[in-house]
Amino acid sequence: MNALISGIPSVYFLALAGILFSIGLVGVLIRRNAVIIFMSVELILNAVNLVFVTFSKTLLNVSGEVIVFFVMAIAACEAAIGLALVIAIFRQNKSSNVDELQSLKW
Amino acid sequence: MAKDFFMIAPDHPSFYLFLLFGTVAVITALNVIFQKNPVVSAVSLVFTFFSLAGIYAIMGAFFIATMQVLVYAGAIMVLVVFVIMLLSQRAETLSKFWDNPLKVLALSVFGMLFFFTLFSALQWGVPKQNPETKGYTVSELQTQYQYPINGGTSVTAEGNVAAVGAATYLDYVLPFELLSILLLVAVVGAVILAKRRLTTESTKDSTL
Repeated sequence: MNALISGIPSVYFLALAGILFSIGLVGVLIRRNAVIIFMSVELILNAVNLVFVTFSKTLLNVSGEVIVFFVMAIAACEAAIGLALVIAIFRQNKSSNVDELQSLKW
Repeated sequence: MAKDFFMIAPDHPSFYLFLLFGTVAVITALNVIFQKNPVVSAVSLVFTFFSLAGIYAIMGAFFIATMQVLVYAGAIMVLVVFVIMLLSQRAETLSKFWDNPLKVLALSVFGMLFFFTLFSALQWGVPKQNPETKGYTVSELQTQYQYPINGGTSVTAEGNVAAVGAATYLDYVLPFELLSILLLVAVVGAVILAKRRLTTESTKDSTL
């Protein structure tokens, strides 16, 4: 694919999105602090948004940007619920370390 | 394919902006996952969001760039920092960064240059130059989108923001409305999560 966006090959944007996605994935896997895992998930969502915008611009179809807007709204929902959960778990267990959460273990 | 991949367009000013924002995004993203202190991670994540906003700006997606700054760098990061403040920090994770005035000065200068560049990218970002269309016809000014309606009439939307808005409210009305319900459910859920503990505490107090 050699489509140019503002004079830049769209492959560059996709490569950047891939790198950011990988960094977010590594963060989810190696970190144990729940808030940092949450931030890594945000990185993953941003990488996906970048892919959406890249293809939206490559194919000249505005729908991709609309979907990025929806992804952002859902990320806001996720932030509200997820961080409320982190706070609730921290109150219960005095820790936000995901390794120490065992209440669903049987 | 390999030749395409390594094709560099250094004559275009947007390319240098892309290099800057891409480098900052990757470095700060690595900083997010490898820092011990969650506060430093959060600040790095803010920089990642801002550099992605710059990348959206040089792609010509101005609406997304604005939303990136408002929603991600604004609203979501406020929530994250709020939660980090509520969680008790262990002493060994706190960084000694702010003890060194030279580092603080370097960070301030870098931050100023970065935000100046971001501003110029938002100002000078060049939309894609291509008359080919798919669903939307782009005029010669590259800023007008003809949005067709079923009956044959069409809405003319000028600029990226208007085009995205037209697509949102004409093509994606149902997902948009469902999204508002989802946001309402999220708000109610967050309130319930925060409230339940208080009610159990009060009942416990009353029984004692």
